[in-house]
Amino acid sequence: MLPPGSGTGQFSQFSKKAIRFVRKGCTNRPFFHIVVAEQRKEQFMPVIEQVGSYDPIPNEYNEKLVSLNFERIRHWIGNGASISQPVQELLGLSGFLPIHPRSYMTAWRNRRAEKLNDSVETKEKAENVDSQTSK
Amino acid sequence: MCTTVLREICKTFPKYTSKQFRVFVSLRSLGYASREYAHEERDPAPFFFDSNVQSLLRTLTRVDLNKVFRKRKTGDLKLEQPTYKFLTDEQLQDALKEAHEKSSQLLQIPPVIKVRKPIDTVISNDPALQGLETSKFVFTDISYGIKYSQRIIVVRETDGTLRHADWDVRERMNQLYFPEHGRKLKIPRMFENTNLESLLNRKEYIFLLDRACIQFEPDDANYQRVTSITYQHINDNNDFEILRSTRHFGALAFFLTWFKNIDNLVLDLLETLHIEEVNVLLQLYEKLHDQSFGAEKSDEVEALIIYINKAASKKGPLELAVQAYKDLKKQRLQLEKGIQAAHGLT
Repeated sequence: MLPPGSGTGQFSQFSKKAIRFVRKGCTNRPFFHIVVAEQRKEQFMPVIEQVGSYDPIPNEYNEKLVSLNFERIRHWIGNGASISQPVQELLGLSGFLPIHPRSYMTAWRNRRAEKLNDSVETKEKAENVDSQTSK
Repeated sequence: MCTTVLREICKTFPKYTSKQFRVFVSLRSLGYASREYAHEERDPAPFFFDSNVQSLLRTLTRVDLNKVFRKRKTGDLKLEQPTYKFLTDEQLQDALKEAHEKSSQLLQIPPVIKVRKPIDTVISNDPALQGLETSKFVFTDISYGIKYSQRIIVVRETDGTLRHADWDVRERMNQLYFPEHGRKLKIPRMFENTNLESLLNRKEYIFLLDRACIQFEPDDANYQRVTSITYQHINDNNDFEILRSTRHFGALAFFLTWFKNIDNLVLDLLETLHIEEVNVLLQLYEKLHDQSFGAEKSDEVEALIIYINKAASKKGPLELAVQAYKDLKKQRLQLEKGIQAAHGLT
């Protein structure tokens, strides 16, 4: 049976909390729960509360599905919980937080890589054409 | 014959693929076009939710408890053994009253409202995010106690635009995270035009309309397509009796009256000698179209004759039916007089 979304983890009032991923799913099929847990606890220990889920594999409509319980996330942020960087990126993309600088960096690097790739391909094509005409 | 013609067209227009043709054929074979309560036209909701109109629609439904509590194709529900009880007269009256209350719940008419507008609100546009992802992100707010219609669902496109999700995505996400019993994540194939036609030909109207009620929201264009085609088919085949005493008859009557197409229903009512229901129907027509036939005061065919002269499209058959109705009434009166004379009462 699945543990309840309200969580089963024991926690002390003043410990540091974090909103972060827990990897569910199985081999070669990642799926993440977004949970609130004590920062010092390990990933697969019982959590305080589940506040969302993230499916990183696109579905048939080419969508990655994210669900977020914004009410509880607000509550835990207000209680001083820290947010892990991947979750911060997701919250940024959702429009809840400002967009994380890492998202901009990744986007920029991807664009640069694509550009390089394109220029290399066009060069190769041009060389191929040259060699064919010289023969 | 039809396929040979299509083959000819295929040869002359090679740009069409066979798949496109299948769609083409399936669209052509269904002889009905969808008639929606379009959102740029007059709004039916204030008329429909008016208590007078509701009571008129209830009267037209003609409640028969045996049909309301009939055995239904429920699929996953187990049938129960009936229980038989001895009741006093008082208890029997109470039980009947309870059954009537339950029937009015079961016969609640599905709401008639306009088709909803498409959603195209863009929240922000951030071209610097281009290249981050090759697929869209869909974010759903799963906070507790939010209505389906008010849940925040947003989409981050691959070009960095953040916008509110379309209706189809919204319905998919709502059904995914908060499933409703009986509703499917994808639209069942029975609502496609070819399968729809076969169901209509088999007269599975109640099955179709019940399932459409579960699957779609009432302001969905697909819901209005399926129901309007079904209503038109019922109207053309005079199958009103199948829908009587179900929750869909009110919606059918409202649809026909709204689009000024009540002649078949009037004929059906006249043939079965329900002149008081004809007057109720004409009252409904007066309310929806702001016309007056004096239907409220008339208890015979006076209002109907005014309607035939003013607004009917099938004048000939209606006049004949009125004449037949009058003759039948006269004959019955004579018969009654004869019986009374035979008993020596006059």
